[in-house]
Amino acid sequence: MNSPIELISSPDAVVIDLRVNSGEEAIRALHQRLRAATPDVRDAGQFMKDLMERSALSTVCISEDVAMPHARTTAVSRIVLAVARTAVPVAFDAEHSAVRLIFLIGTPKAAVTDYLQAVAALSRMLKNSVTRAALLAAPNEIEFRAVLARAHKR
Amino acid sequence: MNVVTDPAKLLLERMLRLLRWRVWVQEKLQPTEWQITLLWAGFAGFLGALSSLVFQGLAEGAHQLLTGSNAGVVESMKQLPWWAVLALPALGGLIAGFVLMLGKHLTKGQSSTDYMEAIVIGSGRVPIRASLVKSAAALFSIGSGGSIGREGPMVQLAAVMASFIGRWRQFTPPQLRLMVACGASAGIASAYNAPIAGSFFVAEIILGTIAMESLGPLAVSAVVAAMTVRVLTSEAQLYKVPEFRLSSPLEMPAYIALGVIAGVLAPWFLRSLKRAEKIFIATKLPLVARMTLGGLIVGALAIQVPEVCGNGYSVVVTILKGHVLWTTLLLFVACKWLATASSFGSGAPGGVFTPSLFMGAGAGFLFGQAVHTIWPGGAVDPRAFALVGMGAFLSAVSHAPVMAVIMLFEMTLSYDIILPLMLCSVVAYYTAKGLEGRSLYSEVLKKKAAEAPSDAAFGSGQVAELMKAKPPTLSRHARFADIARMFLATRVNNLYVTDAQGCFLGAVSLHDIKPYLGEPELAELVIANDILREDFPRVGPESTVSDALGRFLNFEAERLPVVESSGKLIGSLSKGDLLLALVEMRKKPLTA
Repeated sequence: MNSPIELISSPDAVVIDLRVNSGEEAIRALHQRLRAATPDVRDAGQFMKDLMERSALSTVCISEDVAMPHARTTAVSRIVLAVARTAVPVAFDAEHSAVRLIFLIGTPKAAVTDYLQAVAALSRMLKNSVTRAALLAAPNEIEFRAVLARAHKR
Repeated sequence: MNVVTDPAKLLLERMLRLLRWRVWVQEKLQPTEWQITLLWAGFAGFLGALSSLVFQGLAEGAHQLLTGSNAGVVESMKQLPWWAVLALPALGGLIAGFVLMLGKHLTKGQSSTDYMEAIVIGSGRVPIRASLVKSAAALFSIGSGGSIGREGPMVQLAAVMASFIGRWRQFTPPQLRLMVACGASAGIASAYNAPIAGSFFVAEIILGTIAMESLGPLAVSAVVAAMTVRVLTSEAQLYKVPEFRLSSPLEMPAYIALGVIAGVLAPWFLRSLKRAEKIFIATKLPLVARMTLGGLIVGALAIQVPEVCGNGYSVVVTILKGHVLWTTLLLFVACKWLATASSFGSGAPGGVFTPSLFMGAGAGFLFGQAVHTIWPGGAVDPRAFALVGMGAFLSAVSHAPVMAVIMLFEMTLSYDIILPLMLCSVVAYYTAKGLEGRSLYSEVLKKKAAEAPSDAAFGSGQVAELMKAKPPTLSRHARFADIARMFLATRVNNLYVTDAQGCFLGAVSLHDIKPYLGEPELAELVIANDILREDFPRVGPESTVSDALGRFLNFEAERLPVVESSGKLIGSLSKGDLLLALVEMRKKPLTA
């Protein structure tokens, strides 16, 4: 798992039909999954704190239905990614009330370009309406992961 | 979703395109701060030339007002009755003295810093009002026929213009000093129509270095100034001289002897000017009375020898044409010497550069004539000796042989004199330096340096003195769009991020975001906090120049933030300023 691009084709954790009622709940749930999935989250408490701080600073959504909560933090030793599709639309903030796709990213402090690269690649991928539809329609985690992997072979 | 119709989004996309274009231009052309300095140097040259032309026009106006004649100073003096010749320079001195006295009230608190001090020992700030007062006074001492050069005030004015530009653009002290130097270079270039000598004069005498960091801007400024003067007036070269030929190698010994003579006479000339100043001060008369008295002496001399008036330019032309008897010339030189000592000694504002040229031309011609009489083969054409004598004398007075040779060459555009001129100037320089360690300029500077407060300018060579205050900053909440806008507006490569208390948090680098300028989607999401580099190197205000240089060596940046120990961001330090300061420090022991 070296480059941010490879990471997107194969995230650390994927959750299909996540049942949560708010953005914060979604972040907590994905944080839990990520913590369980990889030892590279070294300090879970710190990571959560940094994620919350970042969400408080400014929006983490890139469109009406996509959120990318993120933190640059000392708590991870490499860039980490957890992806979720919610069962029902979730309100993240006033302007983004119907989020379905969530990409939770943690990057080490110094990896400024990794973060930009990941975010740019994700938003490029999600611009494609076919990929979006496929992600929303994928029946299970395996199919969901396959869509992500395919999107990056293109 | 893919079709963007939101006007705010369109604007954002347009801005990102612009920023992308800027990054592209920057990468192709790489305009550094040096190149931008060159542009301002050119502007300083243009303004310097304009101010020189205006001063020249005003001086001629003052002359016309006082004498009712628009001919040259010497010509109009010849036409006046004896009592008017006697009274006129005294009247000029009186008015100039009053202007200076009145000006003292106007400029209370301002020092009378001239451009050389501003460059060498000051902060690069040439006081505007004090300089204008001095120049206004000079108009009268020059217009009334005082034996003093008009070029000094012209150079000073050009330096004021440059200093003004630098202050307006909020240049740092090293840059401001360089700017003033550019102004001086422009002033000399336009006063003597000698752009090469203009740049070398400043480099050799004032900066004491011919390092490319400073010579480049000086040259640009001088060239623009000379071009401006050439476009606006019809003058091409200052002294029209007949063609000279080094007739035979046998002349060389005579030229060497001339070099020795000039080298001996020049320190005498300088010392006599100082002596005269002391005598005038010893009279304990007020400044106005002193200047009137100085003018009176010049007037008295001018009754018999009107040639003593003015900067001596027209007489030099006569000498170079060879239209003077040697006995008459001897009288001219003696009287001119006395007149210059009176004008300068009484405190008349003006330069002694052109009077030096007169002394050199006179001495050279007399010597050439003498050799010619005894041994015609040793000095075929005494006029050539006059020309070479000018250069040698200048070289000995200013202790700047390179500048003297170039200046003579530029003023005459005669390549034939180069060989004897170079030899003679160098001999004169070594002779004068052996006799007296001080030059026309080192004297003034030493005096001022002693008077200057000890903290003057770059006394301790700390970062705080070199930095530019109030750098543009971002908050950590700043959106991608705001960051892009700021990058477009400020032309820096790194923007500093501070918290609400002004503490430095890190920097956002244009280099980092460069690949993503084509993706407006990011603009929604990314804020300064996401991409700021907390490990960005910084310097403290008390760091030394060498410490700061070490930081630059390990990091690719044109500027570094200056951060107090409390964490507060107080300024930014540019690599260019640091290098300039190093160039300056290298020659510091010589001037201090």
